[in-house]
Amino acid sequence: MMHAINANHEVICELKGIQKSFHRETGHPLRVLEDINLDIRANEVVCLIGPSGCGKSTILRIFAGLIQPTKGRTFYHGEEMEGLNPGVAIVFQNFALYPWMTVEANVKTVLQAQGLDEETIKAKAHRAISLVGLEGFEEAYPRELSGGMKQRVGMARALSVDPEILFMDEPFSHVDALTAEGLRAEILDIWDDAERNPSSILMVSHDIKEVAYMADRIVVLSANPGRLRTIVENPLPRPRDMRSPEFLRLVDQLHDIITSTELPDVEVTAPAPSLQPDLVEPLPPAPSSDILGLLEYLETQGGTVDLFQVAAATHVTFEKILSSVKGAEMLDFVDTPKRQVILTALGQRFVRANMDDRKDIWKAQLLELRLFRLVQELLELHEGELKADELLAELQQRLPMENSEQTFETLVTWGRFGELFAYREERGVLTPE
Amino acid sequence: MMHRFLDTMWGQANAVLAPFRRRRWVDLLLVAAAFGLIYGLILVGREWTAIQRPQLEINLSLLALPKYTFFSMMRGVAAYLLSIVFTLVYAFWAAKDERAEKLLIPLLDILQSIPVLTFLMPLLLVMVALFPRSNTGLEITAILTIFTGQVWNMTFSLYHSLKSVPADLQEAGTVYRFSWWQRFKWVELPFATTGLAWNSMMSMAGGWFFLMINESLKVGDKDFRLPGLGSYMRVAAEKGDLKAEVFAVLAMILMIVFLDQVLWRPVVVWAQRFRIEDTVQNEDSQSWFLNLIRRSRLIRRWDHWRSKRRRKAHGRRAKSLTQQAESLERIAGLAPWLALGGLMVLSALLMLGAYGIFHLLAKLPAKAWWMLLKADGLTLSRVLASILVGLAWTLPAGLAIGLSQRLSRIFQPIVQVAASFPAPMLFPAVIAVLAYLKVGLGWGSIVLMLLGTQWYILFNVIAGASAIPSDLREVGTAFGFSRWQRFRNLYLPAIFPYLVTGCLTAAGGAWNASIVSEYYNTSGPILKTFGLGAIVQQATDEKDFVLLAAATLVLAGTVVLFNRLVWKPLYKIAETRYSLSK
Repeated sequence: MMHAINANHEVICELKGIQKSFHRETGHPLRVLEDINLDIRANEVVCLIGPSGCGKSTILRIFAGLIQPTKGRTFYHGEEMEGLNPGVAIVFQNFALYPWMTVEANVKTVLQAQGLDEETIKAKAHRAISLVGLEGFEEAYPRELSGGMKQRVGMARALSVDPEILFMDEPFSHVDALTAEGLRAEILDIWDDAERNPSSILMVSHDIKEVAYMADRIVVLSANPGRLRTIVENPLPRPRDMRSPEFLRLVDQLHDIITSTELPDVEVTAPAPSLQPDLVEPLPPAPSSDILGLLEYLETQGGTVDLFQVAAATHVTFEKILSSVKGAEMLDFVDTPKRQVILTALGQRFVRANMDDRKDIWKAQLLELRLFRLVQELLELHEGELKADELLAELQQRLPMENSEQTFETLVTWGRFGELFAYREERGVLTPE
Repeated sequence: MMHRFLDTMWGQANAVLAPFRRRRWVDLLLVAAAFGLIYGLILVGREWTAIQRPQLEINLSLLALPKYTFFSMMRGVAAYLLSIVFTLVYAFWAAKDERAEKLLIPLLDILQSIPVLTFLMPLLLVMVALFPRSNTGLEITAILTIFTGQVWNMTFSLYHSLKSVPADLQEAGTVYRFSWWQRFKWVELPFATTGLAWNSMMSMAGGWFFLMINESLKVGDKDFRLPGLGSYMRVAAEKGDLKAEVFAVLAMILMIVFLDQVLWRPVVVWAQRFRIEDTVQNEDSQSWFLNLIRRSRLIRRWDHWRSKRRRKAHGRRAKSLTQQAESLERIAGLAPWLALGGLMVLSALLMLGAYGIFHLLAKLPAKAWWMLLKADGLTLSRVLASILVGLAWTLPAGLAIGLSQRLSRIFQPIVQVAASFPAPMLFPAVIAVLAYLKVGLGWGSIVLMLLGTQWYILFNVIAGASAIPSDLREVGTAFGFSRWQRFRNLYLPAIFPYLVTGCLTAAGGAWNASIVSEYYNTSGPILKTFGLGAIVQQATDEKDFVLLAAATLVLAGTVVLFNRLVWKPLYKIAETRYSLSK
């Protein structure tokens, strides 16, 4: 399956047949990963990308040894791993700096934990700090620094321990766009030095351009539970030019892959009643307000847009847009041939209607879904007062592979907007409007 | 010897200070304070080892007051040190050991609902038996009483902090292979410091409540007095020496203010450096005392000397560091066994205790139980009544103060002092007034409870009112809300979480106070009314262990039940519906 140009490179770590479930307080465990096989080789940059809930951060943590998989085995240089991965340092999404320590102390601390002597600690800390351009900021506290500078501290800390693989968990999502651009180039420069560690980088991201810019191999995942869809090789020579036609073509190709897995042109929501009569449709994490916003936006754009242009134009992550589009598609307000999002006739009628009519249309569309018909039946059965816990239990049974809490949350916002039911959070009951 | 030491010290200080002559008084003051402290500690040491007297004479002259105040303060400080050690061990154990957590946390819940005074007498008897010749036993008893008034809150605070360390900070610690000690030192303790500092300040204040009782204990006809501010006040009250009473109250206030300014304010300000970013910071971030200390050349010099020494030592330490790491690892390896052993011993002790108490209680006739329950009901109503009365005046007053920046600047410190002031010190005066008004202790005890507890409510109302976001208040102004609408729709919901905290603390205080306010033993006739607190106190006086144990059980049971059924649900509502931070 993994036809690789890097096949001659030695494998550093590897996951084999990984499955991961998290225990929830309510009933069934939640399966987040299913049958993950993946390796990281020497001298490469691997990026994980996929919709929210695909477990990309979980994969990174299993590689690091922070989380133990439910099933499957992890290897480091061919030997089965126990506990932490010895060759790894992590750059965290929220920086995870100790706010009570100066920049220098934050770096020195992790070196001290390795039991090095003071001279070595000093030298290594100094090298790491100057590597990321933090000289002069040694005595500053994290709270004095901007997001970009904080992440530099995170990088310095990770690099100071000389890791064989550098792990980065959405490292630039809390950094402004311009700074992120600079940091990406810098980290690649540091990685590029073949004589020195880190030999490889594993990065989790939700930014397709970032992935195309950084990665040698791009691992595309799908959600609920997280599965490995495909691995895209990125042969573009470095340094990469984000405006070059080859680069744009690759980004385009990635867009296509993600839309085809997430919004297949074959109708996914079409129920196959005869086969599984009990199952209902899972809902994406798209509150009604997001769907409304998307439809309004579509209307202003003449009813047709490219999915990824919406993300670029609105500065909303493509995962979120994807969820909203999925939701709108379930309600028949949009069509998604390839990467296009097109307002349907019904969608157009909906957007142009006044608020009362909108709610009527919305409600009618809800009742097209088996999930909402089920809720209505349950409401009648319980004589107008349905406990949220009972509904959740029902959802768990009918959505065995899904995150039923998330479906419940979306269900509440959709149902409230369609005036199908009211929900009182404090008492945890649904009542008919 | 002393002179020479002083000379060299002074010579050195003088040399250091030469270029900064104007600031010399800071260091002079520090040196003087250090010597004063040493002298005081020598006095304390003498007092501890002194032969136990059958009857302690309290000198009512004003000149003796500083010494007594110092004695009391040192008891408070010693109790605090004990509390912090207990807190660190207990909270860390409960937070790290899942098995132990299941026992330790409910146990803590029960422990904090047992009023201190119920086990004071048995404790005293044990201690006196252990140290029959010296005052050590009495001192330990007094310190333990203060300790129990301080420690539970601190332990809960640290436990909750340890449990809520952000996941990514912990993960970073894991990835970079911190040992448990490094994790504690670099991650968990710093994270908990802000909360712990705040809580220490509040808990220390709560610890003073029984100062007057634990320094002047009498069991039956035996007198176990200790020299201190509390016993001074007691004797002054008994002799009707008004001047001494007034000055004792002043000394108490002075001590509270002193500790606040010289100990707690600096600690809280210093702890600010450990706050996680983006936390709202209402506290004053200035402390004159801390600034003073920071200005001192003597201290800077010492810091300098210390860091130089440390650097020098590094060469040597580097080699021993691996050994050190090894020995730490060994300790860490032992820890699970240690914890398991501790847990087993603790469970065994608890079971033994439960068996003993059960055995003791089996002797109590059913009629006595019924009487206890009736008394419990009566005392519960008094506790609730005192909270209601407290609410009735603190709500409007607290809102008025909290909503005005000027007023809260003036009143906040006053209320803080009032909340730390041990109310029982005022009981003699209040009882005299009540007697003059011909109010019996049945109703009067509500007033006595109120005396100590209303400040907690007021304090919290003020804090809540001053935390109401200005935009929410502007809405009220912009839409022309009436005063009632404003109260109902904004102020009350906004301060609700604070109100729950205040009432919970007040209720705890009122239960504690019930023991001293339903039964008042002066030199004259004993004043008492029917109630659970009175029964506890009477059983203590008459050394009736069976009744005492039963009353304690009923009392603690009621408090635990009330916490579960009333305060916890209220807290939940406060956190979800009335939280302004979400």
